[in-house]
Amino acid sequence: MKKEPIIPESKDSAFREQVLKTPVGEKILTCMQCGICSGSCPVSQEMDYSPRQLVRMVQLGLKKEVLSSNTIWICTTCFSCSVRCPRGIHPTELMETLKPIAIAEGITNRNVKFDTVFSDVIKTNGRASEFLLISKYSMTEPGMIKQLPFGLSMMAKRKLPLSVDRMENTKELGTIFKLGEKSREKK
Amino acid sequence: MMENEPTLVTEQKEESAKKGSNRIGVYLCRCGGNIADVVDLQAVGDNLKEDKNITVNIQDYLCSSVGQDKIKNDIEKGKVDRVVIGSCSPKLHLETFRSMAKNAGLNPGLLEITNIREQASWVHDKEDKTGVTSKAKGLIKGAAARMDSIEPLSPLAKSLVDRTLVIGGGIAGITTALELSDSHDVILIEKKPYLGGHMIGLSKTFPTLDCSQCILTPRMVAVHNNPRISMLTQTEVADVQGSPGDYSITLEHSPRYVDIRKCINCGACTKKCPTGAIFLPFVQAVPQAYMIDMSKCSNCGACVKVCPRDAINLEEKKETSLISVGAVAIATGFEPIDLSFIEEYNYPSPNILTAIEFEEMLSAKSKTGMRLQKADGTFPNRVAFVLCAGSRDFTGKGRKHCSKVCCIYSQKQAQLVKKMKEESEAWIFYIDMRSSGRRFEEFYHHTQEKGVNYVRGKVAEILPGPDGTLMVQYEDTNLGRKGREIFDMVVLCPALIPSTGTKEIADKLGVPMGDDGFIEEKHVKLDPVNTLNQSVFAAGCVLGPKDIHDSVTEGISAAHKVSQFLGKGVILIPPEKPVILECNGCGDCVKACPYNALTLEGGKALLSPLACTGCGICVPACPIKGIEIRNFTREQLKAQLKGILSEAPGVIVFIDPYAYAAADIAGVNRKQYSSLIRLVSVPSVHILDADVVNAAFEYGATGVLLIEGITDEKLTTRSDDLYKKLKKETRKHKKPIRYSHIETAQYEKLTDLLNVFASQAGAKAQKMSRKEKEEISDKEELAS
Ligand SMILES: Cc1cc2nc3c(=O)[nH]c(=O)nc-3n(C[C@H](O)[C@H](O)[C@H](O)COP(=O)(O)OP(=O)(O)OC[C@H]3O[C@@H](n4cnc5c(N)ncnc54)[C@H](O)[C@@H]3O)c2cc1C
Ligand code: SF4
Ligand code: SF4
Ligand code: SF4
Ligand code: SF4
Repeated sequence: MKKEPIIPESKDSAFREQVLKTPVGEKILTCMQCGICSGSCPVSQEMDYSPRQLVRMVQLGLKKEVLSSNTIWICTTCFSCSVRCPRGIHPTELMETLKPIAIAEGITNRNVKFDTVFSDVIKTNGRASEFLLISKYSMTEPGMIKQLPFGLSMMAKRKLPLSVDRMENTKELGTIFKLGEKSREKK
Repeated sequence: MMENEPTLVTEQKEESAKKGSNRIGVYLCRCGGNIADVVDLQAVGDNLKEDKNITVNIQDYLCSSVGQDKIKNDIEKGKVDRVVIGSCSPKLHLETFRSMAKNAGLNPGLLEITNIREQASWVHDKEDKTGVTSKAKGLIKGAAARMDSIEPLSPLAKSLVDRTLVIGGGIAGITTALELSDSHDVILIEKKPYLGGHMIGLSKTFPTLDCSQCILTPRMVAVHNNPRISMLTQTEVADVQGSPGDYSITLEHSPRYVDIRKCINCGACTKKCPTGAIFLPFVQAVPQAYMIDMSKCSNCGACVKVCPRDAINLEEKKETSLISVGAVAIATGFEPIDLSFIEEYNYPSPNILTAIEFEEMLSAKSKTGMRLQKADGTFPNRVAFVLCAGSRDFTGKGRKHCSKVCCIYSQKQAQLVKKMKEESEAWIFYIDMRSSGRRFEEFYHHTQEKGVNYVRGKVAEILPGPDGTLMVQYEDTNLGRKGREIFDMVVLCPALIPSTGTKEIADKLGVPMGDDGFIEEKHVKLDPVNTLNQSVFAAGCVLGPKDIHDSVTEGISAAHKVSQFLGKGVILIPPEKPVILECNGCGDCVKACPYNALTLEGGKALLSPLACTGCGICVPACPIKGIEIRNFTREQLKAQLKGILSEAPGVIVFIDPYAYAAADIAGVNRKQYSSLIRLVSVPSVHILDADVVNAAFEYGATGVLLIEGITDEKLTTRSDDLYKKLKKETRKHKKPIRYSHIETAQYEKLTDLLNVFASQAGAKAQKMSRKEKEEISDKEELAS
């Protein structure tokens, strides 16, 4: 990964202010970079930037890197970081705050795609289906074809059930989602 | 002990007030804009124009020599004979101004300060200039009216008891006691069975690595042998009576079962004891004497029989004694926070210890023969030091403050590990390496040279493994990579907090603590070892974590301050005491007084001014309103209230000196509250009765708050009754009244309360005026 120097132009103060104004933003400036969040995070090794680095980047307003990082999508919302942060910052909440901003900014990397597919599957079926998830995601992400032999061998070993599990009343579920979206629009 | 009975040195002189004919000088300070940017001082001054006996003067910095000279000149030329100053808090400059007034020949009591900075320009919306100016106009008008009505009093002087109680036998207390003993008598008490505090449990001491016990023992022995110091171990403060300069303190002594004056350390007892209950704490302990752990003793009496000196008494009980002292130095030090709240660190577990436990293993108190060892008795080849455990934590679970010494002592401990076994590994996990003391950065550099491993990152997890090893997980923040290591031992550096019992002592002595729980200094920078009680001082870690060097420096300073205080021989006590104007001999006041300061002599109440604290409980207690507190009489308070409320309606807050200090701290921290709030300083809220509160309502107060900060239970247990009585007797005004107890450290609670109450009072006032209007229009309708 090429690392750009941080120069005045890399910093987007409007973005910084936008995040600082959200409920989770209140304490962001008090991060002392202790790293207990990243040290506690079960998936930080998979992230482009660790939770600690993400907080630092928000402080600086490095909008492009923050919003296109995989960090916010990889977070499992396990809350370990939030429970342990000595400054009472909630990195988990920060991830949740940044996701809709990334979508609104039109960021489309594979993490966004996966997230969209995942939520679509849930919206229509009420349950996660590994088969649907993988097949739909593969359509948006051509690179997945490389995983085909692996998927087939899993199927052979019955580790990837083809059946799609659905909840009983998906109609009600649809209403719930619609209401949710409406209330978000209102906000 | 009471050979030093305090006596009244001078009686107060009385001059009569000549209301209306006083020449009052009002001096307003711009404070470089700190005040003038928000308060229109010209308008405040113009507001007093009508009053012929008032002159107004506005200065840039009143506390400067130019400012002071102006006032001094005016006094000396006879232009003014009473002074009201509108400036920063009286806590900062009242003494300065009053000594200037005294030099100019004015009774210092005839100069008062109205706080328009910490309690006005700093705490209200900067845009609300009209509101803040209107408030300042009222406050100053009220202050001038008050000044016109008060009488010149002289403080009472009483002689001091020339003896000091030092609480805590750590290095700070030892130093204070030794330094004082040159010229004063000292009683040094320590709750443990031996002196030395934490220092006696240290191995080597940074930054020079000299052995702790070697440098400390001579000092402890010096205390023990000093004829002017009575050293009492296993002793704590049980009760405090009296007043500054003259305290009667009850001490409580726990039994040791061995008379330290008789025991000669022969050890004959230990050999005979079947349960190992009798022991010497450790070889270098001062006092050098055996003691019994009663939880182990079977009461067989074997030791009693064998002791050649007859020193053992198994029947010894807890005892108390009464001492009389003029000054107190608090040196109760620190203790580690209980780390079990940090679940992910799994303390306590085998081989996870605190830095204090690590030190003790290598100190005079060692139980392992000064060998560093794991739970299984072997040497730990890989040791991790985890800094900031529970420190720098703003979540409310740990402590906010930095514990200051951990950065350096952990490097000392790491060096010791390497020294004991060169091929061993020592890792230090830190957030920031703070080494800003003389010789400390060199110490850091030296530790690096020794091959100690530094990792920048707060440890996330410590997991005990089945074989007694420990897995430490962290992020190396310099690389942005997560890491895991296996160690044989993990040393946690805990947040250092004030020792248990310090708050109780402080409360008994009327000394406020900061919101971090350490004793509050009189002034953070300029009076670092004084407290707000002029006869109580503090030194060492009870004022915040620090190293031995700084603890000793404070011990020396505290001794100097105590000596300066005692050297005056007398203590001035405020002259604002009750005066009995009329008495029918009912004795209600005598019953009410919590300090036994009133007696009935020949059918009339008689005050003994030395015992009186000026609490004012007797004022509302007198059924014929025959008692007044000098310079806080009902009429004087009313005159002030009338002035304050002449400008605009507002919320009147009667506030005692302890809570007043909280309001000042709120000001320094720029905590905002409504500009409708008007603080009226009273020596105690208990002087108030319905007369005064009703007057406040009549002059236009939209609400009345009583705020008390004193922690003396003799008063606070009566506050609820006071409040209920006032509420009942002022009900006709249908306006809100409230009481709240707020200690000096709770300034945030104070500003929250002020805001909530101001809006409540405002809402109520609006409702009332709407109702009134409706009533009027109803009447008009009826009439038409
Ligand atoms: C692990 C560790 C290592 C350290 N290493 C170093 C070092 O190498 N060099 C250095 O300069 N500093 C070091 N320090 C700091 C040093 O320990 C302190 O500066 C010093 O002990 C402070 O002395 P003190 O008298 O203020 O407090 P303390 O040592 O805590 O003494 C207070 C005393 O008061 C007694 N007491 C408490 N409450 C009461 C009560 N209610 N009534 C009566 N008595 C009471 C206690 O029993 C105790 O004896 C270290 C600190 C720690 C935690
Ligand atoms: S735990 Fe909190 S303070 Fe520490 S680096 Fe993470 S966000 Fe910052
Ligand atoms: S909540 Fe997210 S960022 Fe925080 S520790 Fe868990 S996975 Fe990591
Ligand atoms: S001294 Fe060092 S280790 Fe201790 S709390 Fe402060 S920064 Fe943390
Ligand atoms: S002011 Fe207080 S201490 Fe003094 S006599 Fe009255 S009740 Fe007693």
